[in-house]
Amino acid sequence: MTTNLRWLSLLFTAFAATVAQAADDVPALLKAADRYRTGQDNLQVETLVSVTNRDGSPDKERRYTVFVQAQHKSLVLMRSPAEAGQKVLMLGDDFWLLMPGSQRPLRITPSQKLLGDASTGDIATMSWADDYSGSVVGDEPCLPDGEAACRHLSLQAARKGVTYQRIELWLGKTRHEPIRAELYVQSDKLAKQARFVFDKPAAPTQVTEMVLLDQLSNHKETRVRYVSRQGKVVPEAWLNPMFLARNPALE
Amino acid sequence: MARRPSWRRRGAGVLLLACAVGVASPAEVDSSGELRLQPAAVDLNEAGPLAAANSLVPGIAPIAGSGLRIEAELRGSWHPAATRPWLSVLAADVLLAADRPEGGPTDNASRINELHAASDFGAWQFGVGKKIVGWDVGYGFRPNDVVEQERRRTLLPQTPEGRPLLEAEHFAAEQAATLVWVNPNHAGDPVDAQRGALENALAARWYTREGAADWHLFARWGEHTRGSIGAALAFVATDELELHASARALQRHDGWTLDAQAGLAPVASNPWSQATLGSTSQWLVGASWTGQQQQSVLLEYWYDGTTLSDDDWSRWMARNQALAAFGALPGLPPGPVTAAAGNLAWQTTPLDVPNLRRDNLFVRLAWQPDHWLLSADALITPADRGRIVTLGVQWQGDRWRFNAVLRAYGGPDGALLAQLPQRRVGVLGAAWAF
Repeated sequence: MTTNLRWLSLLFTAFAATVAQAADDVPALLKAADRYRTGQDNLQVETLVSVTNRDGSPDKERRYTVFVQAQHKSLVLMRSPAEAGQKVLMLGDDFWLLMPGSQRPLRITPSQKLLGDASTGDIATMSWADDYSGSVVGDEPCLPDGEAACRHLSLQAARKGVTYQRIELWLGKTRHEPIRAELYVQSDKLAKQARFVFDKPAAPTQVTEMVLLDQLSNHKETRVRYVSRQGKVVPEAWLNPMFLARNPALE
Repeated sequence: MARRPSWRRRGAGVLLLACAVGVASPAEVDSSGELRLQPAAVDLNEAGPLAAANSLVPGIAPIAGSGLRIEAELRGSWHPAATRPWLSVLAADVLLAADRPEGGPTDNASRINELHAASDFGAWQFGVGKKIVGWDVGYGFRPNDVVEQERRRTLLPQTPEGRPLLEAEHFAAEQAATLVWVNPNHAGDPVDAQRGALENALAARWYTREGAADWHLFARWGEHTRGSIGAALAFVATDELELHASARALQRHDGWTLDAQAGLAPVASNPWSQATLGSTSQWLVGASWTGQQQQSVLLEYWYDGTTLSDDDWSRWMARNQALAAFGALPGLPPGPVTAAAGNLAWQTTPLDVPNLRRDNLFVRLAWQPDHWLLSADALITPADRGRIVTLGVQWQGDRWRFNAVLRAYGGPDGALLAQLPQRRVGVLGAAWAF
């Protein structure tokens, strides 16, 4: 009897240690959180970005077709009348822009990527697991004045080309769905606060909207709405910078 | 004089596209466009050969002044089913435009910018038709833009007119190779009918990417300018700094020459003409820096050996002075005065080039807060300290875009840029995208 109890106690301790380790396994937590945003490595996302002023009045609206591909590759096609024909290609830490008038792909710096109406990083980056590493800070209320508990992760960029150098991220404790985030730029200034809206609040399966509140300059609210997502592997040629000048058929 | 396609040919092209689009399902058609209104005000120069000509014989050489331009640019592309790789895209960009100079008749400036078909065989892509093919890495000047030869530093952004061409491209993950036969319609034409960007030519580009660097190699074979080779590099040095360089060596080039018989006295016909000249080179180095607050600085220096030399311009100045002095001689009969004025007007002929001086320095500052784009740039010619200063402001909304641009030409009295017919140009622009 005493031997059996000892074995049971050992087993329980090992199980508890495994659970605790899994709960603090940041890559696993980020992979779980990413599943709510992408669901797969290669996909085509139709995105609608609406910006409202601090007083709630509408400021602007932009539409994008984003091809998010494995290995940090993204192709963003601007679809709104004001930007029709513009394209941005992101291959890891390297970026290119095509303006429709010139039909000439142009190499741009990470800083130039931030120019324009929306930060392309906000709409083309759908994965944290591959871009960030960090640690679990602990369990905290999801919202400063809320009751639900969240897992608080502090993340540092693991590669050069990401838009935000540091992210403070709060995930649901049970399902690890992203609840909110604080996004910091290179100078470690808080650039944006983000919160995530789900398809089914009671049993979320997918992020349908990311709401960004600017903290640096204009304090505008940007809603990035994922209108549709579908699996799509684009031909290799589409991810060649010189291919930007061509006009492929989009399904 | 450039040969322009007839309205019948342009109309046939538009009709062909309309028929193709008409039989396509709406899901296969992508279309967009823009309506633009652009009033311009011009402050004429009181110096320079054209001003001198009009001073001798008022009105002998009318100068383009203020006016209004109305444009509608329509873009469309038709993507048939993917099972037809031999016709993957049929695309067009049509510009309907009218210029109304102050006090003058309305001029129709409509044209087809692009009308081309493409085939998609995966890594191999083919194209045929009138198309914009833009190459090279610079902003103010692009020595290796050997197909399109786009005019740079325009007051307002505009879609250039494409070139008739046949194109074959191959794409790998990090390399691309392009072969273009441009202006095949000019093959065998007299040399004067295919000067500059109109020349029948074969052009090739090879591109490779190595981390933060883009490398380009170029080669071109023109029917009368023969061979040229070039190379270009764009390199992202830091998150904020980009460096670029481009160079080209030409076996022959088109350029302005003054009739050797012209001398300093008036002659009976325009002594300036385009000719095929010898070997030369063009190069550019540049850097751009973009800060976190969306401010940017661009600095470029370039050399263009295809334009007249400093000695040629000194002779041009001397001829201007001699003609003006001759025309102002007391008691000269009207005939010789008119001849002097006409010759002074012809002296503006070689001013129609992308670069007046061979050495040029360009700096551009821009700030892009939210809806706004504020910019200031200056082109400086160190040889004579001439300058072109441009200030611009743009507001961009969901559909509306408004621009205001002011450009001033100047420098010391001897500077070429101070001799141009216009002293200041201001343009307002309103555009509505759909």
